Amino acid sequence: MFQIYLPIAEISVNLLVMLGLGAAVGFLSGMFGVGGGFLLTPFLMLSGIPPAIAVATGANQIVGTSVSGTLAQWRRGNVDLRMGFVLIAGGVVGAFVGVFLLKILREAGQAGLMISLTYVCFLGVIGALMLWESLNAIRRQRAGKTVSARKASQHNWIHGLPFKMRFPRSRLYISAIPPLVIGGLVGLLASFLGVGGGFIMVPALIYLLRMPTNVVIGTSIFQIIFITAIVTLLHATLNYTLDIVLAFLLVIGGVIGGQFGVRAGQKLRGEQLRALLALMVLGVAIRILLDLLLKPSELFSIVPLSGA
Amino acid sequence: MMKTALLQISALLLALPVSVALSSPVLAQKKAAEPAAGEPASQEQVQSDISTREIAIQSNFTGIEILIFGSVDFSDSRTPGEGTYDVIAVVRGPNEPIILRKKERVAGIWVNGPGKTYSTVPGFYAVLSTRPVRAIASDQTLKALGIGLSDLDFGRYTQGNPNEQAYRSAMIRLKKEKKLFQERDDAVKFIGRSLFRATVALPVNVPIGRYTVDVYLFRDGAVASKSQGSLEVNKAGLEKLVYRLAFQRPFIYGLLGVLIAVLAGLAGWYAFRRD
Repeated sequence: MFQIYLPIAEISVNLLVMLGLGAAVGFLSGMFGVGGGFLLTPFLMLSGIPPAIAVATGANQIVGTSVSGTLAQWRRGNVDLRMGFVLIAGGVVGAFVGVFLLKILREAGQAGLMISLTYVCFLGVIGALMLWESLNAIRRQRAGKTVSARKASQHNWIHGLPFKMRFPRSRLYISAIPPLVIGGLVGLLASFLGVGGGFIMVPALIYLLRMPTNVVIGTSIFQIIFITAIVTLLHATLNYTLDIVLAFLLVIGGVIGGQFGVRAGQKLRGEQLRALLALMVLGVAIRILLDLLLKPSELFSIVPLSGA
Repeated sequence: MMKTALLQISALLLALPVSVALSSPVLAQKKAAEPAAGEPASQEQVQSDISTREIAIQSNFTGIEILIFGSVDFSDSRTPGEGTYDVIAVVRGPNEPIILRKKERVAGIWVNGPGKTYSTVPGFYAVLSTRPVRAIASDQTLKALGIGLSDLDFGRYTQGNPNEQAYRSAMIRLKKEKKLFQERDDAVKFIGRSLFRATVALPVNVPIGRYTVDVYLFRDGAVASKSQGSLEVNKAGLEKLVYRLAFQRPFIYGLLGVLIAVLAGLAGWYAFRRD
């Protein structure tokens, strides 16, 4: 009942499970402004989808949820278009470099390991930092002090860089170089890990550029559309690993879940949102780390020569 | 499709008394003289067919059970349970190259070691028999016929090296877990004196292509007769369309994927907007 055969993955999956998985990830995506790929891709692999297909199809799903997520954020004036396009400009370059890197590693047979290690490092560090910061903010708030996460008057080295641009929506007047570099690095990681990269973009924009949290979420999800679209195209043409039927199921669930996620996000405070996201990021990092450290029950694995 | 198979079986059943009457006891006794493996030893003839000759993989595909059935013409068997004959059916899917990797511990983490490539691993391989195959014929005979997982040629020299042997058994174990390799020594059942049937389940992940079905009739440890058949597994309908587009026009396919996602995103937002 409700089983559907996937033409590229060549397995049969439960329709409702995939719709539900898409909805759950879409919900988180709308709530936090992250693509959700770092959750979706491991879950797809757990349900038996080959890793390469999980990565490409996950990216395609994120395109859909990001479109509806962006529109919902747009209505609230949370998208900084100018900042978005600067990030995308860097991101496109990064995405191509990432695919190239992945190709080299794949030929050396160590792509899987490098992906796992990169995940653990980034998710671990970012999750820990975010959790620390948000818990401190919550504690200070409980103590009765009024705090603002945004310290507009505080200047750092970033303000000394040339090519200054005005970003009125973010109330920033900063050099275009940091957003370009952030966009590039996130694009690189996004294509390398097969995710949208929101989990790196969001903290980078908050802590490095000091953009307001709500604008960060809208802008991040906006640029994710473009990065994941490029990653999807690259995977489909270079690796033949996109399963459109699976992507369709995930997107349907995702766009519905995404809408509820945006609403749920509005009801939570910024600090609580960040603490929750941090916990989730840390959880995934620990899971991947355990996979690397614990002795697997089956040491051998087989892959067809063509679809590796 | 089951219906046609049953019709064919009943047609064979009707033909049965005729073939028994025709079988000559004098000729049948000749086969006692040691026949070489693979050569028909006596007058018995095995006929077989498959319930489904074409399997179409569509969106509702969850695997399929096929029926292999046949009969022994000029059967010598006087009572159904006599056990004069044994049947081994070998179903074999198209070969494919496979990389087998073993994880090794490097600096505390489990890392994929260098992979070994096996160039001709059957995508599907099932041995169905009336009894354990080693009880039916000698190892030598089975090896000559290529029956059984232990004698499968994966396109890589594996004799001698104990390390290679571990890889080889890992390949068989992993394929068995996916139900792509099967050995079932009680799968073939005789019905009456000369009619037999066996079912084999093709799992959802069966590779597409041409499958061969070899049915061997054994008597006293030697092949008395052999019959061959084949079946095609193909994607059909939407699955075929998607599969073709993905491999022949990958850029258009990728664009289509992005377009569908964008449209779904727009539709989702439109349906849920609050104005």
